[in-house]
Amino acid sequence: MTISDETLMAYADGELDAATRASIEAAMQQDPEMAKRVAHHRALREAMRGAFSAVLEEPVPERLIAAARGRITAPKGAVVELAFAREAAARRKTSLGVRWQPAAMAASLLLGVGLGFLAWQSRSGLIQPGPGGGLVAKAALAEVLSTQLSDDRSPALAIAHLSFRAKSGGYCRTFSLTGTDASSGLACREGNAWKIKAWAESPRDAANPGNFRTAASEDSPAVRAAVEASIDGEPLDHAGEIAARQAGWAAAAKR
Amino acid sequence: MSTNESVQNIQEQIVALLPRLRRFARNLVRNPHDADDVVQIAVERALLRLDQWRSDARLDSWLFKIVRNAWIDEVRARGRRAKIFMPEEAGEQIGESSMEREIDRWSAETALSRLPEDQRLAVSLVLVEGLSYKDAAEVLEVPLGTLTSRLARGRDALQAMLRLPEGESS
Repeated sequence: MTISDETLMAYADGELDAATRASIEAAMQQDPEMAKRVAHHRALREAMRGAFSAVLEEPVPERLIAAARGRITAPKGAVVELAFAREAAARRKTSLGVRWQPAAMAASLLLGVGLGFLAWQSRSGLIQPGPGGGLVAKAALAEVLSTQLSDDRSPALAIAHLSFRAKSGGYCRTFSLTGTDASSGLACREGNAWKIKAWAESPRDAANPGNFRTAASEDSPAVRAAVEASIDGEPLDHAGEIAARQAGWAAAAKR
Repeated sequence: MSTNESVQNIQEQIVALLPRLRRFARNLVRNPHDADDVVQIAVERALLRLDQWRSDARLDSWLFKIVRNAWIDEVRARGRRAKIFMPEEAGEQIGESSMEREIDRWSAETALSRLPEDQRLAVSLVLVEGLSYKDAAEVLEVPLGTLTSRLARGRDALQAMLRLPEGESS
């Protein structure tokens, strides 16, 4: 019986089903040459298993642990090529410098969106065009809006600041994004999506325009104006947020 | 599923996998610092795409795939392959003199680093990381047969370089 070397390799790697395994074991008893080939495969497997295992014993750099926990460490001249920072840099290049004016904000919640922002959001994937037009929060931003309580102050890519019930009945939340070009915005729950109602770049540090900033602890004036224009009553407190979160931020429940 | 706790739980699982992600990245990138950069980029991407991870899939396989893709993107973006990434032609430079009689970690790593990229990744995922053929094929986005033949060719080359004693662990 002829058995290909690939089959013997798969046997040594434990990839075969019981029946094939049994037939190979039977063949190996008849054919010492075949048994030798299997032994070769096993010896190699053993030898390679230890390769690079020293890395496993090394302490993991703090920046990687921080990244895994969704926290971005501010680069201090080190070679930190954060995907997010790169995207922010790319956005800065393409940005036309469109800024939202607080006065205009009050008049209309969803204003035109700057080209730079469109370029950025399509790269980062955090904010994308929604099915019914307009923009919706995606990925980590949607996750934060749906799950994070406003008093959770752990630094992250995106942070939710404030939750409230809008005059239209639905829930809205303000958020900010970290990065070289930090921004903040307002998203309202419509159906199963967080629709972006307002968004504004945070003011840039003129003295140090490339400086990496963590998310603003407060919403920008433009976003605050948008909140004031649409809020019904007071912002939700901690318990109110938990209840709203449990209800999936659905607008149905009446106070 | 969509709770803070589940996200934190996955984040901690990723933290626990960091040593293996770093090991895998070192098979892609020679310079340890650059390898860690690739891991960091991959981890950030993974967090942004948690919704794309199917919980029935292995988290490690999914992350290996993101590491590999991050590496490919970095290579493309930076065009620095010649400087920091393993030269593929190194596999052809191996001569009799560099063949080691002893099997130790150093020689296993050296031999691995001399494999062409396709074979190196197949060997790294299956023999070093212990993935099944199916999972490894998925990470590399190739059919199972392609993975198997790369693995077989890689093993042949490694056998030749390492000259393992016969039947050591059978």
